Amino acid sequence: MAQLVLDSVSKTYRPRGKEPVQAVKRVSLDVKDGEIVALLGSSGCGKTSMLRMIAGFEDVTEGAIRIGGKEIHTLPPAQRDVAMAFEGYSLYPPLKVRENIGFALLRERGASADIEKRVKHIAELLEITDILDRYPTVISAGQQQRTSLARALIRRAPVSLLDEPMSQLEPQLRAILRARLKDYLIEHKMTTVFVTHDQTEAIALADRIAVMEKGELQQFGTPAEIKQSPSNLFVASFIGEPPMNIFDAAIAPEGNATSISGLGPSGQPAFRLKAPAAEAINGKRVRLGIRPHLIEIGANGSADATGKVITNHWLGDQSHICFEIGGCSVVGVTDKPIGARAGDELPVRFPLRAVHLFDAESGRALAHGLGQR
Amino acid sequence: MNQISTLERIIRGVLIALVLVFFLFPIFWILLMSFQNNDQILRIPPSLFFEPTLQNYLALLTGRLETTAGNLDIAFMRNLGNSLLLSTCSVLLSLALGVPAAYAFARYKFRLGENIAFTLLSFRFAPPLLVLLPLSLFFKHLHLTDTYIGLIWVYQLICLPLILWIVRGYFEDISPDIEHAYRISGHGWWKTFRKIAIPLARPGIAAAGLLAFIFAWNNFIFALILASASKQPVTVGALAFVTASGIQYGQIAAAIVLSVTPTLLLALYAQRYLVEGLSLGAVKG
Amino acid sequence: MTSLELRNISKGFKSGKVLEDISLSVKAGEIVVVFGPSGTGKTVLLRMIAGVHYPDTGSIAIDGEDVTDASPEARGVGMAFQNFALFPHFSTFENIASPLEARETPPAKLKEQVGAIARMLKIDHVLGHAPRELSNGQKQRTALARALVAQPKVLLLDDPLRNVDAKLRYEMRLELPRLLRTFNAAVIYVTQDYKEAMALGDHIAVLRNGRIEQWAAPGDVYREPISVDVARLFGDPTINLLPCKLEINGTGSVTLLGRRAPVSGAYAYAAGRDLIAGLRPEHVVVTETAAPDAIPFDLDAVMPVNVRSVLYLRGPKGEELLATVGETEAAKFGRGHRKVWVRFAPSDLLLFDAASGQRIAPQVH
Repeated sequence: MAQLVLDSVSKTYRPRGKEPVQAVKRVSLDVKDGEIVALLGSSGCGKTSMLRMIAGFEDVTEGAIRIGGKEIHTLPPAQRDVAMAFEGYSLYPPLKVRENIGFALLRERGASADIEKRVKHIAELLEITDILDRYPTVISAGQQQRTSLARALIRRAPVSLLDEPMSQLEPQLRAILRARLKDYLIEHKMTTVFVTHDQTEAIALADRIAVMEKGELQQFGTPAEIKQSPSNLFVASFIGEPPMNIFDAAIAPEGNATSISGLGPSGQPAFRLKAPAAEAINGKRVRLGIRPHLIEIGANGSADATGKVITNHWLGDQSHICFEIGGCSVVGVTDKPIGARAGDELPVRFPLRAVHLFDAESGRALAHGLGQR
Repeated sequence: MNQISTLERIIRGVLIALVLVFFLFPIFWILLMSFQNNDQILRIPPSLFFEPTLQNYLALLTGRLETTAGNLDIAFMRNLGNSLLLSTCSVLLSLALGVPAAYAFARYKFRLGENIAFTLLSFRFAPPLLVLLPLSLFFKHLHLTDTYIGLIWVYQLICLPLILWIVRGYFEDISPDIEHAYRISGHGWWKTFRKIAIPLARPGIAAAGLLAFIFAWNNFIFALILASASKQPVTVGALAFVTASGIQYGQIAAAIVLSVTPTLLLALYAQRYLVEGLSLGAVKG
Repeated sequence: MTSLELRNISKGFKSGKVLEDISLSVKAGEIVVVFGPSGTGKTVLLRMIAGVHYPDTGSIAIDGEDVTDASPEARGVGMAFQNFALFPHFSTFENIASPLEARETPPAKLKEQVGAIARMLKIDHVLGHAPRELSNGQKQRTALARALVAQPKVLLLDDPLRNVDAKLRYEMRLELPRLLRTFNAAVIYVTQDYKEAMALGDHIAVLRNGRIEQWAAPGDVYREPISVDVARLFGDPTINLLPCKLEINGTGSVTLLGRRAPVSGAYAYAAGRDLIAGLRPEHVVVTETAAPDAIPFDLDAVMPVNVRSVLYLRGPKGEELLATVGETEAAKFGRGHRKVWVRFAPSDLLLFDAASGQRIAPQVH
């Protein structure tokens, strides 16, 4: 529908009698026409401030926001032609659910039969057909949230803004509703920006994710890029469940190769890997990261270390195993049930292509995947 | 986002000043009057400038009033003492009864509970004159007329509803899980009440107590009808200045200043707690 | 030795009956998870064991002794609440020490025991703080420490990880079983998260509509759910449910999505019934090209989830299907909106009676 561009946007709050707070620091994003973008971060990282600036409920302290090439950050919300689903739902209490959803369409003066049809369609999508004739005060929080979402989506506005759209949803409905939501947004080519603190939701729905922390943009990329090439330690450990295993590591040259030693809590080596030479990394203090599902457990052939099993949980479709390796706690995930009990020892392999290295001080990524192995 | 213009600020300031003058002027004037003698008070036009005199205060404190018609004994200090005694004892009694009752209302939902609570609150709304006649007859019957005990008992009509309603709200705000956790840890219900419920509701209990003290102090009608001169609080005692030889405005003013000062100071000191108590601050578990 | 035994517990409030005929027993050192969606009475059950509520009928016994009418302080139970319920006006130390103080433990021993458990739960450095100064994770550990410090025979944990952030929740999920086993108490753990239930429980009691609908080991509840509702509660994404009919012509078959899938003849007794077939997303096979027995579907959306992707498929008659495939496989499908082919192994089907929702099992003669 429209391209959304944030150009070096900053937001500073100046509460009276207190220090000014910089909630957003010079963030630039470009959302392509029809793209779905997630603003992901923990609470207080500035993502909600960003959304509210795009909607017009907060002033932009510095920078510009453009939709379809036109500057909109000085316009009042009503003139921006943006649809928003609020975190606090903000439904109109005296109107029934169906009237809430169809409210914006009445303004556009469509035929009432057509409005009815569209309301019914979106209600079916979000599983709220049985409450269409109820009032907002008597429905549950999850249903209120879905009503608010329906109200925003039905408009098919040039830009849709969703603030934590599915936080109250029951786990059983989550997968199917996410799927339908994504399908709807793609089908109607709706440019969408949504805010979430749930990285699973961000990865499932978004074409690209903007990871934010303390008001700064940490990385803006596709889910695959963020998972495979996180730009720093924060992004690497925020994304992924179970979280990435992170170790302190020491790098030293060994002949014409490099030896990387993962270190335990008191600095003693827990495991060692051999990689092709990489002068840029030698001598630096680094942290080593490897994702749980890429650790090979019970591998035949050469093992990098022997892990003592601490816990082994079979969750129906995958195993989560926690090992102790040289004093470090390591989590591995695999698709098959592993018949090991606490105390058993299993060989463990860390494929070089799955190893990430980060600078120990700044957290910046140094390498994603080492050599060919 | 909104800029308050300077003009708006000035207008606001002026309006606030006007309101303040409207409310505070009487108090200010009485303060002035208390340092003047009758002639200065009754002078026309009234003036802000005069020679202050401590004569009025002296008369109250010593208990002797010298008028043109002769000397009178003023029992003001005794009235002050009565006020103190009645208010303090009433509040203490109503706390002892009201706090456990408030806890019961907050924690145990029993049938008719709301009805009983509302009935107790309605005592605050009922005009005292309604009950005074039957009450004075009962008192005579029970030989309670002109006793401190009788008055303290009647003052519960003023203090108890206040305590119940404010403190109940405070107890309701304490998450019951905190008390459950304490009991599951191994403590009995009385210890739980003492060590958990009361400390956590302390701001509310203090606020309710202060408010009850102020209302009890200010009460006029009960003591007027049900007690004699020796048990009168300051509210009634002020009537004594309407003498046969004329109204001693100066002394009335001084008496008012002395009567109002304790509760005013109390309210100023505790205003934070009063606001908190009345807005039922939340205690989250 | 059964440390905790509940028999025929029922409880109703003015709003209706909350629990009906609940019986279960927990041995020392065993973790039983009471699992169910919100509002099903799990918390009420826990509170009855603790003594905060009293059952209408039934009995509760701890270590062989009947405690049905006993007051909470007399039961010797440890409980950790969902919203922590720490005493705000006590320090962390005093919070944890409370059960020991109730038992009149001498001060030196009290200090030692509190210190030991605080070290074990990694909160020894915040013992002097007030609860409001602690992070959520620290508050939760304090609540746990308080429940554990007096070495209770029965430990009740009311969804302790609910109010804790995702990363910490995962860590605690790994740590808790180890921690709990060192105490050898009979543990009842309440949760709404099925992954937590499967990770922590030796046995799971699935509570629905006030009754225990299924009691089994975690793997069994996942593989052999007793009803459609239980099947829906375990599994992420939720299990696919499709109506079908069972026919017996020599061998049995169900007509599903327009194709016939053979099923064992042992289902013969259910012939002609309306059934619901359950197929878990991980058992749906999706290919780019047609294959014998494969059904054409529209792939409408692709949602990456950690290491795999969930494919949103729509069938010729509008049927919705979710399939889980590996990351590399999903890359082939791009953003979706193309045609694909779907297959499944008939043995992966779970069959449920459409009317009652109960799973029908092949009858073995």
